[in-house]
Amino acid sequence: MMWRDVGVTLILSLILPVVAQGARHTPPGKPKLTSCRSPDKETFTCWWEAGSDGGRPTTYSLFYHKENSETVYECPDYHTAGANSCFFSKNETSIWVNYNITVVATNALGNNFSDPVDVDVVYIVQPHTPENVTVGVLEDEDGPFLRVSWEPPSKADTRSGWITLIYELRVKLEEAEEWEEHRAGQQKMFNIFSLHSGGVYMVQVRCKPDHGFWSEWSTASYVIVPDYIPRERSMWILIAVFSAFIFLILTWIITLNRSSVKHCLLPPVPGPKIKGFDQQLLKKGKPEEVFNSLVVQSFPPRSTDYEDLLVEYLEVYVNEKQELMPEGKDLQDVGCLKSKSQSDNDSGRGSCDSHTLLMEKCGGVESKDESSYEEPELLQGQAGSWERLERGDSQVVDTPDSSDGRVKTWPLVFSPSIHGSSDNHHYGTLEMPKQHSTSEITYSVPDHLFPTSTSFPHHHHPEYRDSLGEYSEYRCSRSPSTGVAYHWEARHPTQAHSNFNIRNLERQKEATGLGLPPSRSMEYVEVQKVNQENQLVLKPLSSHGRGPFQVQFGRAGVDYSKVNGVNNDNVLLLQRQREMAEAGQYCNYREKEGAEAERYPTQQQGKTTKDGPVATQLQESTCLTTSGYVDTAPTMPTF
Amino acid sequence: MFNDFDGTLLPDERRQLNKIFLLDFCNSDSIVSPVDKHETQKSSVLKLLHISFRLIESWEYPSQTLIISNSLLVGNANQISEKLSDLKVGINLLIMGSQDGLLSLDDNDSQQLPRYGNYYQNPGGDGNVRRNYELLACFKKDMHKVETYLTVAKCRKSLEANCTL
Repeated sequence: MMWRDVGVTLILSLILPVVAQGARHTPPGKPKLTSCRSPDKETFTCWWEAGSDGGRPTTYSLFYHKENSETVYECPDYHTAGANSCFFSKNETSIWVNYNITVVATNALGNNFSDPVDVDVVYIVQPHTPENVTVGVLEDEDGPFLRVSWEPPSKADTRSGWITLIYELRVKLEEAEEWEEHRAGQQKMFNIFSLHSGGVYMVQVRCKPDHGFWSEWSTASYVIVPDYIPRERSMWILIAVFSAFIFLILTWIITLNRSSVKHCLLPPVPGPKIKGFDQQLLKKGKPEEVFNSLVVQSFPPRSTDYEDLLVEYLEVYVNEKQELMPEGKDLQDVGCLKSKSQSDNDSGRGSCDSHTLLMEKCGGVESKDESSYEEPELLQGQAGSWERLERGDSQVVDTPDSSDGRVKTWPLVFSPSIHGSSDNHHYGTLEMPKQHSTSEITYSVPDHLFPTSTSFPHHHHPEYRDSLGEYSEYRCSRSPSTGVAYHWEARHPTQAHSNFNIRNLERQKEATGLGLPPSRSMEYVEVQKVNQENQLVLKPLSSHGRGPFQVQFGRAGVDYSKVNGVNNDNVLLLQRQREMAEAGQYCNYREKEGAEAERYPTQQQGKTTKDGPVATQLQESTCLTTSGYVDTAPTMPTF
Repeated sequence: MFNDFDGTLLPDERRQLNKIFLLDFCNSDSIVSPVDKHETQKSSVLKLLHISFRLIESWEYPSQTLIISNSLLVGNANQISEKLSDLKVGINLLIMGSQDGLLSLDDNDSQQLPRYGNYYQNPGGDGNVRRNYELLACFKKDMHKVETYLTVAKCRKSLEANCTL
């Protein structure tokens, strides 16, 4: 065994060297041409790499032949370009000619050919790097910039135009990672702007022929940019400072006017303006008290108070002591009611809106002016001050004179003395007035004080002038907040109505409160004058005329209403002047109720001439008599 | 006048060709032209112009058969042909300007149009693509020749001693 192993080992040891020796001595491996380059398009060099060495010294030779020629030439220069290279000089170099190049590796045992390579010098040009790259910092109005300049590689003949080179450069801050590349074309100079002040820049340049390869990058050139403030940045700084300054000034101004600015931006919330509303109470948190204060105890007048009301509005007549109609209270009631009209729109509002309200202060405030006041013809010219209260009119009428030209009377609100039930908006029940022998029309004469008075309800008119004689007092409606209720009681015609200009009225039976169907709309009738007969010549006030109402009187504006008197029904008969007839027209209140449509005055008295137009309907379906109507009480039904 | 024709050179198109098919022969081989710098510089400007003229002329019509399908050129065969025509005309003008009416050409430079023959005919079939590439290679080389010649001539003609291009 052991001998066998030794023998094997000996044999192996003998064989291996032989084999190895055999491996060393082989033909050379195949060489390979790696690249050929021409730096100037006049010469070129080819490099190859050797294959495996065959163990013996191997020589390499390069052979080539040009296109269209079979002549094979050998490399003229193996040394100039270094090992494993072949340098073709100018004489051997032809441009636009294909070279077919082959490298042969030869050793003692054999040779080996490389693959042939076709080369056209035009396409293998790779110049050297540009030379003399200089970088300088120049100043501009926008700031410093870099100017890079260079020269073409010395070997490349660009001067004669044999080679056309284009250049490229790249720049970066020293600490940056990415290069910024720029094509410079054929120029040999380049400017770089937008520099970082105080930064260190690196610049490199390379070139390329029109058909060829890029050269290597030149060695980096360093340049330091001096510190400067960019113009653009300085402008922004200036703007920022200026803006801050302006801002400070504005803030200071606003601070000075803090309160007014606050008032402008956040207008104060208006507080409640409910009459009688006490904010302090509200703040205390006692709603009951607050609301209680709003409630006027005397309103609405309850039935139990009628008596009282009645009493209040009782009028003392000189002549006939006709009892005050029990319904007078109704009248008054109504009259009062009118102000407190249940369905008055203006409830709770101080009743400026109430058609019963004739106060100046409320005048003109209300936009919804439904009721039209009609001046009562009852106004006596001579009476003291007939003040005209018109809504919207703040004038104070001068004292009417009996023969004054114009007396404006305030609208009289007739309480519909008619109905007895407050709920019932009947005005026109003539019954009521009927019951009175005397229609008593109580009205509150707005004395001088009226316009100025604010709380109407609490007004008690002083006794009427003595000039009036009879009337001792006028009471204003007691309806407090709802306005003024004017009642006026027509004097009994039989009485000495000297005070009344309305003679007719006096003459007539009792004029009942013309419970003219009070609609909301009441119109003012202006007493133009009082004629000799102590008749009020009324004229509707166009300004107050409600639409249709006015139309009627459009013609002359001089429409007089003459009170013919009070008819049996205690209706105040008005008579249009044009008629000059005794015709009085009145509305039958009865018709009134609930009718919102116009009412046409019914001709009660035969003699009344009913004017078509007269019968215009007031909006509120007021019964239109002649010019204007006397609305006894605007306790209208809820129209 | 030289500057006018710089823009009509077409080298830019050629740069896009990645494949360089080096033909052993092109049809323009019949046109004798300097093949190195020395020869080029030895040649007169007029000679260079003539050679350029002939080269352009040899490609004026065959360029229409070229199929250049890279993205840069679309429907371009006619454009190339037109540009070549314009270039030819321009070179002719330059020749006229330089000659003063005399034709100083030697025999080698006699104007002979190369034979078109069947060279430019498409063999058809599979050979089309290869043929096209070969044509393009020849075209590219010739155009580069013209560019070089004209550039050299221009630099020589310019008054500036320092002809830096």
